[in-house]
Amino acid sequence: MVQINFAAREVNCKIVYYGPGRSGKTTNLEVVHAKAPPDSKGELVSIATETDRTLYFDFLPLDLGQIAGMRTKFQLYTVPGQVFYNATRKLVLQGADGIIFVADSNPDMREENIESLENLIENLRENGLNIEDIPIAFQWNKRDLPNAMPVEQMQKDLNRWNAPTCEAVAVKGEGVFPTLKMLSSLVIKKLNSEQEAGRPRAPAAPPPPRPAAGAPQPPRPAPPPPSPRPVVGAPQPPRAVPPPPPRPIPPPPSARPLPRPSARPGAPGIPSPLPRRTNPLAEEIRRRKEMEAKRAVSAAPTQAARVATQPGRAGVVSLPVLVLVIVVLLGGLVAFLKFGLKLF
Amino acid sequence: MSRFAGRPAAGLEDSPFGRLLMDSSEQMRRVRLAFYEEDIDEINKILSDFLDASQAKCILLVDSEGHLVTKKGFTKSFDTTSLSALVAASFASTKAMAEVLGETSFLTLSHQGKNEHIHIALVSGRALLVIVFDDRTNLGMVRLYAGEVTSRVAEALAKAEERNKTRAPQRLQADFELAAEQRLDDFFGKQ
Repeated sequence: MVQINFAAREVNCKIVYYGPGRSGKTTNLEVVHAKAPPDSKGELVSIATETDRTLYFDFLPLDLGQIAGMRTKFQLYTVPGQVFYNATRKLVLQGADGIIFVADSNPDMREENIESLENLIENLRENGLNIEDIPIAFQWNKRDLPNAMPVEQMQKDLNRWNAPTCEAVAVKGEGVFPTLKMLSSLVIKKLNSEQEAGRPRAPAAPPPPRPAAGAPQPPRPAPPPPSPRPVVGAPQPPRAVPPPPPRPIPPPPSARPLPRPSARPGAPGIPSPLPRRTNPLAEEIRRRKEMEAKRAVSAAPTQAARVATQPGRAGVVSLPVLVLVIVVLLGGLVAFLKFGLKLF
Repeated sequence: MSRFAGRPAAGLEDSPFGRLLMDSSEQMRRVRLAFYEEDIDEINKILSDFLDASQAKCILLVDSEGHLVTKKGFTKSFDTTSLSALVAASFASTKAMAEVLGETSFLTLSHQGKNEHIHIALVSGRALLVIVFDDRTNLGMVRLYAGEVTSRVAEALAKAEERNKTRAPQRLQADFELAAEQRLDDFFGKQ
């Protein structure tokens, strides 16, 4: 959450770029780093794998300078997009003041976009936040692809809150600043409205219990159509088709199947929202525990067998002793007979 | 004279006050962070005392989101903003590790380098003390005083929290949003 430091006269905000793997989150940050004035940016810190895939996060501090007597700083983070890194995604998401969802316009990535958004909703919920309460902007990236998905389709798939959107080609630097500006504006508006209300944000409700995997989601309170989420003052880039009206909350998965673009022949379409993925970390822990339990069960008879063979092993050990004793006794008897007979 | 008595190193769990704070840490974490001059002055005094006693190079107070709250000592040689963000992320990941082991959180972390070292301590479950030190002192000395500075900063934060309930909240200027819009136009360009 936004930190207001009246002593240092600073306002600090945390903005997180979210989205599926390879959708262009790190590229966004690289472009911001390249285009921002030198005295306004810090070092771009990237915790990445050897193949330059984000392992933990990328981080770029951005200093907007003095705003109404307060030095305003934005800290930009990206999350790792790969499915496996959900635990780290959740950590980076903690305390976010605004989210830029970078969606990939490649039709083959449609399912990943939806999955990533559902993952964002779930991770926010587990952090005690509701996606409707946090400023969010959508970036439709890779618009230069020849077979890019229509914006209307992406809007329909992902932007059910009618949040501000922006088309982009991040590798060429197009649409990166406008998206960040939109989101920054939303974050500041929210901060300002809270300040005007004169009270700190109410503590978030604890996350509700997670429904079982595959179970239909509880009905989400629909946003009131007359007052959709306010669109920021920053104008959106011109679009061929006007944005659709606020979409009603999707019905339960069973009632709204979404055809999988790359579905196997005969496979049923994937319902949307997609079935919740479990936390890979928790999954891994559960798997290890199961393996340990199995190992314990399989080890138990062996141990029992070992215990059962212990008396036998004791017999084997005592046999040479017995033979030795007999030999000694026999030797003693022979000696006694030999010398005893001589004496008598 | 230093106010640090050099008590044996005590983690937050050793302090009754700390225990109380840890219990309510989750609730505190969700409350907006606003730091006032009076509170920061008090904290700065504690941090200065710590530096005098421990001979550490510098000490930073960082909130759990990785924003720097205040700092004392020699910090010119590195980027405190990046360090704060990285420390917060590092601590968050060790918290996840602790949870795997059935712990709520690890209370301290130490990283040893060739010349520079870092000791990190959790304060009230919502802030971190980052102590950077070199070979002028040693980890034992730093740990000895770190337990105490942790407790004292936790108390100062709790007092600040109490004061926040009663004092008139300081606000951003009324024209903050308008000024911000203009600044965003200047920075990102008008679209």
